[in-house]
Amino acid sequence: MPGIEEIKNGLKKSFKDAVVSVEEQNPTRLFVDIKSAKVRDISNAIIAMGGRYLVSVGYDNIARDKTLGLIHTFGFDRDGVYLALRTSVPESKPEMDSITPDIPNAGWSEREYMDLLGMKFTGHPKPKRLILADDWPAGVHPLRKDIPWNLMPPAAEDVAYQLDECPEGCSIVPVGPYHPTLHEPAHFAVYVDGETIKGSDYRGFMTHRGIEKLCQTQLTYNEVPFVAERICGICGSVHATSYSQAVELAAGIKISRRAEYIRTIMLEIERIHSHLLWLGVAGHLIGFDTVFMQSWRIREPIMWLGERITGNRKTYGMIVIGGVRRDITPEIKEDILNVIGKIEEELLTVQKAIQGDSAIHRRTKGVGYVSTEDTKLWSLVGPVARARNVDIDVRRDYPYAAYDEMKFDVPVFDSNDVWATVLVRLLETFESIKIIRQCLDRMPNDGPILTELDAPIPALKHGLAAVEAPRGEVVHYVITGEENAPERWRVRAPTYPNLQGVPLMLLGNQLADVPIIIGSIDPCFSCTDRMEIVDLRSGAAKTASQGELEELSRNKR
Amino acid sequence: MDILTAVINVVIFLALAPLFEGVVRKLYAKVQSRMGPPVVQPYYDLLKLLGKETLSAGNWAFRIAPMMALASIITAVSLMPLGYRAGFLTQYGDIITIIYLLTLGGVSVLLGALSSKNTYAMVGASREMVTMIMVEPVLAMTFILGALKAKSLAIDASLASSLNGSYGVSMVLMLVVFLMALQAFVARQPFDIAEAEVEIMEGPFIEYSGPGLALFKYYMMIKQIFYAALFVAVFVPLVNTGYYIVDVAVQLVEILAVFVLIALLGSTNPRLRIDQAVKYYALLIVASLVAVGLTAYGI
Repeated sequence: MPGIEEIKNGLKKSFKDAVVSVEEQNPTRLFVDIKSAKVRDISNAIIAMGGRYLVSVGYDNIARDKTLGLIHTFGFDRDGVYLALRTSVPESKPEMDSITPDIPNAGWSEREYMDLLGMKFTGHPKPKRLILADDWPAGVHPLRKDIPWNLMPPAAEDVAYQLDECPEGCSIVPVGPYHPTLHEPAHFAVYVDGETIKGSDYRGFMTHRGIEKLCQTQLTYNEVPFVAERICGICGSVHATSYSQAVELAAGIKISRRAEYIRTIMLEIERIHSHLLWLGVAGHLIGFDTVFMQSWRIREPIMWLGERITGNRKTYGMIVIGGVRRDITPEIKEDILNVIGKIEEELLTVQKAIQGDSAIHRRTKGVGYVSTEDTKLWSLVGPVARARNVDIDVRRDYPYAAYDEMKFDVPVFDSNDVWATVLVRLLETFESIKIIRQCLDRMPNDGPILTELDAPIPALKHGLAAVEAPRGEVVHYVITGEENAPERWRVRAPTYPNLQGVPLMLLGNQLADVPIIIGSIDPCFSCTDRMEIVDLRSGAAKTASQGELEELSRNKR
Repeated sequence: MDILTAVINVVIFLALAPLFEGVVRKLYAKVQSRMGPPVVQPYYDLLKLLGKETLSAGNWAFRIAPMMALASIITAVSLMPLGYRAGFLTQYGDIITIIYLLTLGGVSVLLGALSSKNTYAMVGASREMVTMIMVEPVLAMTFILGALKAKSLAIDASLASSLNGSYGVSMVLMLVVFLMALQAFVARQPFDIAEAEVEIMEGPFIEYSGPGLALFKYYMMIKQIFYAALFVAVFVPLVNTGYYIVDVAVQLVEILAVFVLIALLGSTNPRLRIDQAVKYYALLIVASLVAVGLTAYGI
């Protein structure tokens, strides 16, 4: 395994001409500037050295040097090193090689910047629209700085996404945009032959809220965490922590140990909440509502606990740059211990019931199979990857907050199916309980929970932070700006890579398995759909209060 | 008096079907730690739906399908002996008639689904069809077993014969098979495959609303009580007190017990996939054939 030195030297040696500079921000973060011509070769070399593709970050740098910037990011899981491969292309000819043919998961990132920045990637296998609405005018790239954040182009009629070609002899079953399986709008076109799935296409990004653009232009550093929490209703603290860490890394801010412990506790409480919620949803998806109701009943005390600690049942509003907003008092500590003790007890019963239920085995074993090689090739993350024998966990591989002092197991299974994702999530919940107990046990009592910044955050620094969300690895990339706000903030939720793997999981399964397979990645479409300005037709143009809606539906006869 | 029994039959089945459905819902809720709706909720549901506008998503077939379904099941229940004695209409049909009437109900569901031309309805219809083809033999074998014993195709004779004679191995085997097929007969978990809410959104019924949906829902409820009643009539030993009213009451209590069973099975099982269900049904068919074979040899 290469250490950070070897990665540096390896790249410098193999690509002497293309590597412009190498910056080691700290022993876990490496920033490499390269010329755009060699981007595909260097990316492949990084993968060959054991790197795992994370996400790409595109940004508008036209005002400074007439270029569009692009950063491919990678993680070296065994060494705990994140690498950012930075390059740029001139605005006049924004073209570079696509890395998607070799690294399929880069497909969406590259399509994103085709839409949002007007970049071109030669050799991209599927250069279709991804983010922008179908009726968005061509040539308007909303992430460029000359486009105002609140631009609303007029809606157009008679435009629709062209689905991929349906294999011969198959018929299309639409799943979505509104479907009980999905809970959020997204469209899967499932191509079936009888009941067997032969292929699928995905069209999502239907609820873009333009969060990144909004935060870059309208908010300040310390307001962003609260918006970041609202990216997702379930892993709010994850996004706030990840953003705060990215800024702290970029600006070199050190926070108190106690604050790090409190962050860890919040993140684990969130994981317990999320896994119990998922277990319920999974039960519902295979038509087993008793599992649904019972696991949500067990989840309820966690919501109560959230309110006790933070004042909110969910979307806690706890984490900001520099630390956290509320302390954990001895009384609250007692409550936490009581609640997690009770949950552990009840969860043991649930675990026994589920592991012994042959009917659940029949619906989940062998379903959604993806080989370990394909899982790595597609850079899948979180429980989805761990259920397919890919042993990655940000908490262990790239310790943040107080995880460096925690002892916990990372459950990994090799049956490569939905059943394994059920097991992974069940066992992780017990690990979370273990971690919270350790935190409460060891938490240092000194230090402010919120570190005041003594100087403004310097501009144009890069920060990359990742957090292991309940669904997998969340990556936040921040480029600091001049006016007390980030210049560029890129969020990659775990659903972003995992959703790209869904067609692979669906292939060859039965139509009846679609809900649980899509459900098994615990999809969060709102996490994925974070980057566009609200569509005029679906958004602000027409709002009715709940009362008005009720009135309307009651008067209809 | 005789004509009255036919009326009593229909009235009891029509009036009680939603109540028993309500009991099932309440039991589901109890298993799931919920309050659940009041037991009379299904009546409210039906009334509410009946009061809505009729919308059609297809041709004439779409509109008459719910009526056909309901009519066929009402005819079937009017033929059923209740309180362990033949009703007025029982003599006018035989077990073949009953099987036809039940099939007609299923066919009506298919008819409505196919004429709506909805993708989910199509998938639901194809699943419904498979279920019908695979479960019907079990039902037929139950009747045939009785008919073989009674050496008659008459409904009352063949239903009661299975109890009047000795309760042999074949009978026990058939009882087990019928119990295992019960959830499929009444389209409950793990065999609510044709409706599968999260996959195909109620499948065949997706385009139905208002009165049409009410009729289909009513049809499903009556079908449920019919199968429960059938189970009781065939397999539960006779408690003949000689008083018609008491016998009917006893039978209703027994039917209620079957509903408890349905609710408990339904709430503790996930839905199977159609391919898994088909394998399961195939086993049941074979077992029911064996039961009939054994009967023929008098075992």
